[in-house]
Amino acid sequence: MAQPKLQLRIAQSPVLRYGLAVLSVSVALGGALLIERLQLRNITLFLFAIAVAAWYGGTGAAVLALLLSCISFAYFFVEPSHTLYISRSDIPYFILFALFAWLVSKFSSVRRRVEAELLAERTQQRSLLNLTHDSIFVRDMDFIISYWNLGAQELYGWAPEDAIGKHSRQLLQTVFPAPLEDVHAELLRTGRWEGELKRTTAQGTTVVVAARYALRRDEQARPVAILETSNDITERKRREREIEGLNEELAKRSMELEAINKELEAFAYSVSHDLRAPLRHMAGYTELLQKKASSTLDEKCSHYILMTLESAKRMGNLIDDLLAFSRIGRAETQKTLFSLTQLVREALTEVRDDTGGRNIAWKIGALPDFYGDRSMLRLVLVNLISNAIKFTRTRPQAEIEIGCADGNSSDLVVFVRDNGVGFDMKYVNKLFGVFQRLHDSDAFEGTGIGLATVQRIIHRHGGKVWAEGVVDSGATFYFSAPKT
Amino acid sequence: MESVNKLGRILLVEDDPKDVELTLTALEEYNLANEVIVARDGEEALEYLYSRGKFKTRSSGNPAVMLLDLKLPKVDGLEVLKQVKSEEKLRMIPIVVLTSSKEEKDMVASYKLGVSAYVVKPVDFHEFVNAIKELGVFWAVINEPPPGSVRK
Repeated sequence: MAQPKLQLRIAQSPVLRYGLAVLSVSVALGGALLIERLQLRNITLFLFAIAVAAWYGGTGAAVLALLLSCISFAYFFVEPSHTLYISRSDIPYFILFALFAWLVSKFSSVRRRVEAELLAERTQQRSLLNLTHDSIFVRDMDFIISYWNLGAQELYGWAPEDAIGKHSRQLLQTVFPAPLEDVHAELLRTGRWEGELKRTTAQGTTVVVAARYALRRDEQARPVAILETSNDITERKRREREIEGLNEELAKRSMELEAINKELEAFAYSVSHDLRAPLRHMAGYTELLQKKASSTLDEKCSHYILMTLESAKRMGNLIDDLLAFSRIGRAETQKTLFSLTQLVREALTEVRDDTGGRNIAWKIGALPDFYGDRSMLRLVLVNLISNAIKFTRTRPQAEIEIGCADGNSSDLVVFVRDNGVGFDMKYVNKLFGVFQRLHDSDAFEGTGIGLATVQRIIHRHGGKVWAEGVVDSGATFYFSAPKT
Repeated sequence: MESVNKLGRILLVEDDPKDVELTLTALEEYNLANEVIVARDGEEALEYLYSRGKFKTRSSGNPAVMLLDLKLPKVDGLEVLKQVKSEEKLRMIPIVVLTSSKEEKDMVASYKLGVSAYVVKPVDFHEFVNAIKELGVFWAVINEPPPGSVRK
């Protein structure tokens, strides 16, 4: 907004202000004494006429009033009377008229300009204030509303003509979050205040608004008005309450979950301790029996003992695998960036014993770096590779390929492919379940927990696992994971 | 076995009678069982080590090794460990944790308390016997125990 060209300011210092009054009266007194002394003719009424014309009529009127004043003065008051003749000694009067007319019309035009600027400014401000969605109103220190924008009308329901002049607190039934004295104390101290107010609209509904007060002071720094900007947060408050409720619910759930986890941990611990002991005893005593009685037992009895021992051993493996599986779910993942190529190499070293000197054609493609828990990923690779080794056992020439498939831009996809016995796609959803097996344990040993472990680890990395297979033509296992 | 003559005394702390029997059987198989003292809970183990209670009149000297189960009635294995390791006279006794638990937190806690070894009892009896035998041979025969240990 442009600055008014002339600033009508009142001097700040009281000395200047009151000095000006004393000075101007002194000048007037001097002038009056001078006029008295010189016994000049009274021209006050003419000057008054010129002033009125110039002030209200503008420059043209001032010129006309000046001319008429000059003519009248010359005709009636200048000797010789009733003529328009003027002597040299009368000229200062006409100069005085002209100067006065010029001065007053100058003042008048300045005043008009300032008025026009103020008006334009105010109109612009009001129309701008009506553009905003916020509700804005101004009230004086006695709560009487003096301005009310469109936003206020929309929010509270009263038109400006219904609101202006009313007591704002009574009109809006404002409920303050703090005692009113405190609000005003802060406002007077800092010039600002903000807080949430409860109000009732013209329609009788309650709204919650976030209000900001700004204090306006006059030239003497006395508080005169408060500008209040506010916006409707009723809906937001409702959502906040809703979110709070949901958060509480969530906290409760996560506490429950934590309790369940603790129980699960205690359960796993007890499985680890208490289930293994009797199993060990069964196996131990059976073996002692086998040793002591081997000479007196017939083939059938020896077979029974053997089966008992085998079962005990298998159950031991199942318990161990199940515990390992549950540990993966509970352990913290420690993520670092590491080379998959290096990890595959390590995994291959680890499973080398399982190959038993078989003829396996390895094809290891280029592998990227991986961001994740290294020891967990190692377990994934060991599981997938040893599976591939296991299920190609019947092949004279086993082929196992490890590589990186085209993923989308954010995920990378790694696969392990073999030309082993494969599987029927109809059972693909069973592959990754705990204790799920697609082959009988005579053909391919195992507890059925390896792929479940793989899936759990990959899920914990935010990735997916899937598989493709054709009976007797091999299988491919994929896992994906976010690149970072 | 020739080494019988200088066999160290073994303190077996184990509450399960079957485990005791199987362990003793395994030790017997290698003639390592004649100097085994069995404590059935943590309290008994401490009574033995401090020569009090029912072990008030025992012959003096520390065992060459203590085979310690973790899950014990009254005073559990980790508590026994804590007490032994904080006692000047006892802290040098080699302690082997012999337990069913593969839980990492047990393992970490045991090593933190300064155990010499941590052995998970294998389910398979063969492996169990082998483990006990190796432990017995190593700690009661091969290892030179700290001064103050009983060795026949």
